[in-house]
Amino acid sequence: MRERNVDCVVIGGGPAGMAAAIELKKQGIEDVLLIERDVALGGILQQCIHDGFGVQRFGVRLSGGQYAQRFIDELEAVGVEYLLNTTVIEMTANKELYTISEADGMQCLRCKSIILAMGCRERTRNQVFVSGTRPAGVLTAGAVQRYINMEGYLPGKRAVILGSGDIGLIMARRMVFEDIEVEGVYELKASPGGLTRNIVQCLDDYQIPLHLSTTVVRVHGQRRLEGVTVAKVDENYRPIPGTERYIPCDLLVLSVGLIPENELSQQAEIEIDRITQGPTIDESYMTSLPGVFAAGNVCAVFDLVDYVSKTAEYAARGAAAYLKGQLDMNSEYVPVEAGDNVFYVIPQRVRKEAKNFTLPLYMRVTRPMEKASLMVNRGEAQLSKKRKNFVAPPEMLEVEVKVQELGEGEGYSVGLEEL
Amino acid sequence: MQNNELRARVQEQLAARVEACEGKLDVRVKDGDIVVLEGQVPEWRDVVDLGHQAAKVDGVRNVVNHLEIPDMAAYRKDYSQSLEAGLQKGVIADCDVVIVGAGISGCGIARELSKYDLDIVVVEKNLDVAEGATRANNGDIHPGHKAKPGTLKARLNVLGNEMYDRWAEELDFDLKRIGAISFAYDEDDLPKVQKIYDDGVANGVPGMELFSGEELKRREPGVKGEPLMAVLAPTMGVVEPYLVTIALAENAAENGVKFIFDAEVANVLIEDQRIAGVVTKQGIVRAKYLINAAGIYADDIAVMADDEFFTIHGRRGTILLLDKGIQGVLKGTLGSVPKAKNPDSKGGGAQTTVEGNILLGPSASEIPDKEDLGFNPEDLEYALGRGMDVVEGIQRRDVIAIFSGIRPADYTEDFIIEASRHVKGLIHCAAIQSPGLASAPAIAELVENILKAERAADGQPLERKASFNPIRKRKPEFRKLSREEQAKLIEENPKYGQIICRCEQITAGEILDCMDSLIPPRSIDAIKRRTRAGMGRCQGGFCQPRVVELLAEALQTDWCKINLKEAGSEVLLKNTREFTEEVQDA
Repeated sequence: MRERNVDCVVIGGGPAGMAAAIELKKQGIEDVLLIERDVALGGILQQCIHDGFGVQRFGVRLSGGQYAQRFIDELEAVGVEYLLNTTVIEMTANKELYTISEADGMQCLRCKSIILAMGCRERTRNQVFVSGTRPAGVLTAGAVQRYINMEGYLPGKRAVILGSGDIGLIMARRMVFEDIEVEGVYELKASPGGLTRNIVQCLDDYQIPLHLSTTVVRVHGQRRLEGVTVAKVDENYRPIPGTERYIPCDLLVLSVGLIPENELSQQAEIEIDRITQGPTIDESYMTSLPGVFAAGNVCAVFDLVDYVSKTAEYAARGAAAYLKGQLDMNSEYVPVEAGDNVFYVIPQRVRKEAKNFTLPLYMRVTRPMEKASLMVNRGEAQLSKKRKNFVAPPEMLEVEVKVQELGEGEGYSVGLEEL
Repeated sequence: MQNNELRARVQEQLAARVEACEGKLDVRVKDGDIVVLEGQVPEWRDVVDLGHQAAKVDGVRNVVNHLEIPDMAAYRKDYSQSLEAGLQKGVIADCDVVIVGAGISGCGIARELSKYDLDIVVVEKNLDVAEGATRANNGDIHPGHKAKPGTLKARLNVLGNEMYDRWAEELDFDLKRIGAISFAYDEDDLPKVQKIYDDGVANGVPGMELFSGEELKRREPGVKGEPLMAVLAPTMGVVEPYLVTIALAENAAENGVKFIFDAEVANVLIEDQRIAGVVTKQGIVRAKYLINAAGIYADDIAVMADDEFFTIHGRRGTILLLDKGIQGVLKGTLGSVPKAKNPDSKGGGAQTTVEGNILLGPSASEIPDKEDLGFNPEDLEYALGRGMDVVEGIQRRDVIAIFSGIRPADYTEDFIIEASRHVKGLIHCAAIQSPGLASAPAIAELVENILKAERAADGQPLERKASFNPIRKRKPEFRKLSREEQAKLIEENPKYGQIICRCEQITAGEILDCMDSLIPPRSIDAIKRRTRAGMGRCQGGFCQPRVVELLAEALQTDWCKINLKEAGSEVLLKNTREFTEEVQDA
């Protein structure tokens, strides 16, 4: 087994990992190694051939591949060392990483610091308890995307989509282009799960109906999918008897949510937030394990890749500060509380003694509001107040607070007030 | 006893139930105290209840239940296409013994008989072994403390449990003895705990132990609430049932047994009142002996052989598999005794698997359609409750897989393992419901002894062959090796350095290796069962395309021909990058 000491290893070569590695170099950290399990860099962006990426960051609408390529080019330019086809199979609490690959066999990397950028994965049918049989033809939206865009195969002729998450909406349009009939999108909740722009551009523009407060209650067919039964649900998401409708179809596409991928974090016994399902992080994006930082969808599921890249840069700056001995490792923490209409917020905590720093906050709301004030407080003191024109659960909110003075009070809080 | 007397007794004892459901019942008695029920009842529950009641009448050996519900015709299996295909193909094999069904029973018997100088053919309707009841159960090697004393089940269960260590050693599969605990929260239920203990002792289960609720809390700190008393059967084991079956089949094949898949039996050939062979979808297999291990369709095989004396009804159990992330909350098998009497099920519970996942269930529902593997919200809630009600720290979101299996039961609720009383050369191994997996080694031995006696009576005593090799080795399992062993394995074969299934850490080496077998996988699920690729929390979301690629390459076929499970379950329908000739020319 080969062994190697590294200053910072970035796990994952998607948008978060690439942005983190580049930023580390910019911060003057030379010994950086990025590890990617796939055959190429880019992560899930590789299969996102639709556009809409990079509007915030670059001011243009890029495809997933184009967005990734900008980072790949920069990564090559600044000279980040990376390994492809390489999987981290274990992370220990001592910051050792065991990796395997066909080319290099097994390696043990002893890391001074690590940035977690493993991304997220899709929830499956079993996690939303859809009853019935288990035939072929029931796939997650991401798997359908991979089959159609990467592999060049169609998994059905007539599709029903369960869940109105963004990937499902994108795939509704994509399937229409491939001559797959999309019967409709069914959403358990009373409001859509995906971004408004995707509802308009992927469903409305193609006359694909979106059925809210409706779900798939049963899957039919022993070998291949023959159809599904949908039904309306009440406010407690229970199917309403008598509203059932049978829809013949040979493809059920699931877009029922994403979960941060934290198997490695759990191995190293890093504290996981029960709500975000990602590591609990501080204002430097460090996890509960000193020297281990987290970036992008591994922290919480984002809807915009632009934000993912930004969080990665925060994490990289945190890791660089840690490596340079500039991070206060003895400070106590105070919490960042999710206040009115905030479902969750990251980072979840801040060093008690921290001053003169930027606090980049990302949050999701619980319910939609037309016009609202987003307020960040430390104790009684208001640090920031921003007007927001429309907030809704599918759209992650971002606010960057410059904290100059050493504040008072036991913690920070973030809340929204309807105007 | 006179047939008429028995008939009158059955009619009398079933009258109230028939009246209650406003059904119409005719009772006949066949030779050998077999009761035949015919007529119309409104619901499937009525069919099953009357069958069970008839079986309990004194003097009844078994029940043929032909009672019908209004939409019964839809559930009857049509063998005509397989029959036509088979007759057209003609004779494809001529052997001594044909075994119908490649589940745990059929493969166990095949492997047991492969030590003799016999030509053996196993015919299986699916594309793989272990596709029926064997595939979808808890994997329990029951100790035998819950079987009714005096039954064939009780005897074979205790014996089979004891024989498993040898199987595990010779066939190289994982067997973990985790112990089974049943317990009660209420004073009223204490007699049930005591009865489990008493039955265990009566059945000869070793090491039965009764202890207090406090002691239970000490042994299983995850148990909820304040249990009063518990009973432990320490010999409870767990296995992965499909891996046991694959191991048996591979070893049987190594010792000369031939397996024919996609070979549904459509008729049994009888000449001069003795077995002459079977007509399968793949052609005719001539044979002198037939072992009926056809699972839920064992009754159809009996009908084909003109030896109908039992009826199989399907009892579906739904099982939930939980994420490995919470594996610490439970050590062994834990079930509270059922509060309401439910004679059809052992009640299910929460238990750990060989791989460390927690498994909940099974539920138990009687179903008219023997192929209906779907599950209902009620089944799911029942199975969830069996875990969440008794163990701290289990949540709905921990569920990663939900599946159902159908247990083949007759109306006496015992195993049927015997030579036919009417057809020479026919041996039934039917109604092997739970604890069929635990009993499998003893079942194989019993069938071996029956065949031995039959052959001796036919003047051809069985002879052992010198070449029999009882040892079968498993392929490397990357995740179970030490880091040093893993490093060495990748050096020897770099394919082990490529992870295909992220959740379970399954490598390309393992998938390629499992295809190099005498019983090769031919579907995505068959690869999943052999390697665990796709069995983790993402349920194949990431690795399925890679598995399709590797399988298509091994089978030298198009991706669109790759099945998820049985034939006709293709995952992909069309290749969008396949150009027509005109386009290429242009």
